[in-house]
Amino acid sequence: MGTDTTRVAESISGEPRDEQASPAAHRRRRRLSLGYLLIAPAMLYLVVFMLIPLYRGVQLSFTDTRLVSPAAGSYVGFDNYQFLLGSARFWNSMTATIIYTGAVVVFSIILGTLTAVLINRPFRLRGGVRAILLFPYATPTVAAALVFVWIYNRSSGVMNETIGLAGLGPVGWLGDPRYGMFSVVFATVWKVFPFVMLVMLAALQSVPDELYEAARVDGADGLSTFRGIVLPHLMPTIRVVALLMTIWSIRRFEIIYLLTGGGPVERTNTLVINIYQQAFQQQRLGMAAAIGMLGVVLSLAVTVGFFVVERRAAAQEAQA
Amino acid sequence: MSTIRRKPGQIVVWVLLALVTLFAAFPIYWMFNTALSLTSELYATGQDLWPHLERLPRIPGSLAAVNALGLLRNSAFIATGTTILSLVMATGAAYALSRFKFHGKGFAGFFLFATQMLPQALLVVPLFALFVTLGLINNLSGLVLAQTAFSMPVATFIMKTAIDKIPYEIEESARVDGCPQLGQLSLIVVPLILPSMAAAAVVTFFDGWNEFLFANTFISSAEKWPASVGLAQFMGQYATPLSTVMATALVFTLPALIFFLIVQRRIISGITAGAVKG
Repeated sequence: MGTDTTRVAESISGEPRDEQASPAAHRRRRRLSLGYLLIAPAMLYLVVFMLIPLYRGVQLSFTDTRLVSPAAGSYVGFDNYQFLLGSARFWNSMTATIIYTGAVVVFSIILGTLTAVLINRPFRLRGGVRAILLFPYATPTVAAALVFVWIYNRSSGVMNETIGLAGLGPVGWLGDPRYGMFSVVFATVWKVFPFVMLVMLAALQSVPDELYEAARVDGADGLSTFRGIVLPHLMPTIRVVALLMTIWSIRRFEIIYLLTGGGPVERTNTLVINIYQQAFQQQRLGMAAAIGMLGVVLSLAVTVGFFVVERRAAAQEAQA
Repeated sequence: MSTIRRKPGQIVVWVLLALVTLFAAFPIYWMFNTALSLTSELYATGQDLWPHLERLPRIPGSLAAVNALGLLRNSAFIATGTTILSLVMATGAAYALSRFKFHGKGFAGFFLFATQMLPQALLVVPLFALFVTLGLINNLSGLVLAQTAFSMPVATFIMKTAIDKIPYEIEESARVDGCPQLGQLSLIVVPLILPSMAAAAVVTFFDGWNEFLFANTFISSAEKWPASVGLAQFMGQYATPLSTVMATALVFTLPALIFFLIVQRRIISGITAGAVKG
């Protein structure tokens, strides 16, 4: 899943604030062509390796192209889409994506925010604890998946040995349809919660000390300080992190593929896993592309929804 | 907060902190512990909670048996290529986005962000077709090209954030002194953002190091597998002892842990400067 890193707000809002105010702005306009020159390689690269493939993907989704002869597909109009929208397997996949994404977003934000609050005060060993908390974020996904497969092992895994102490189990964490989604979400949350923690930690450090001071004077206890002061201050950041987590969860492939491959009984067969299966197991490239496009539509819908909510919240906060 | 009310609260805080640290560390510890266990312990008599450190000397031998070094070398090639290609393009792009006004700039920023929405699994199909045409299938350089498309935007964000923080006056005075714009970029801006460039380098390096999907799809011969694919291949078969698989996973993981810890602050500020408005 690559790097979990994007700076959203700024990249979208465009330029840094000081630019318009700068007296040198009009002079910089003259050097405009150098600006194009500097950004051109990156843009051209993305056109060749992303935009054109994406366009090819759109084209493919209207054909019945198969993996054995990728050049020989014929145009079938909306057949693939029509088939998908009427297919229970596709809707199961959509449901799995939404459950997986929702669960990962909610639990990683809760755990990440809680952890950030816990380590946001000076204490001995803080640096060491923070370093350990970053382990999951730095661990290669394949290595993480590998060790989780062993932890989840039905007969010898440490997960079943632990619940066995309480007289429970053994449970087929990856093989039982009741637990597959839980196991995949659990491993994913392990992998991604440090990212949330890092972002929240930075946001916490921007809470003005006077606010804590005021709360202390008012005699607020820790929990009500958090609810009344810290949490409202964190909300804009939580919204951005929720967007990133959502987009990344919709497109996450490796950890699910390696843990369950979409099973058991397709319970974790998210759209992205479904694309891969259609393309490289069923060899139906056209159908795979159509699933992918519907996945992109889902991501776009979430992003647009986010900006609508964001604008409203910003307007409300400005009024208040 | 009075001291009386604080005490039980403090205990809860420490317990929670201990639990979450254990949660974060355990899988890595377990990887290490499993690498030092015997197959008979793993599947029959039970794995010890404490690591058998006396078996550490066995690890190099088991790594050699699965040619772990060859796998890591391929990963390193993909990672290095991705880093160089990404940073070269990202430096220019970040500078342009931060310091220039031009038509389509807003669109360029959006385009870079939009790449984060595209699933690799979707692009893998058309890229496969493209690479067949270009003769880049079963070729490590092809993986570099594919991975760079996903990593370069991220490097651009990290560096743009860093450049935004540099006061423009520094470049302005250099300009007055007759330093050309490209000279300002290479002599003034780049040295000032070196720490962030290092962070961007670490992020892109480990993007390439960890990459699995493209490698798993585009590479057919085993001697070109990166460690990610090699490890995933071990997973399904029982010929390789689990302790060897975990030892390989560990040497695959350690460089990432070390480098991320070194540059973590920069990554954090890069990540957050855009996301946190404060």
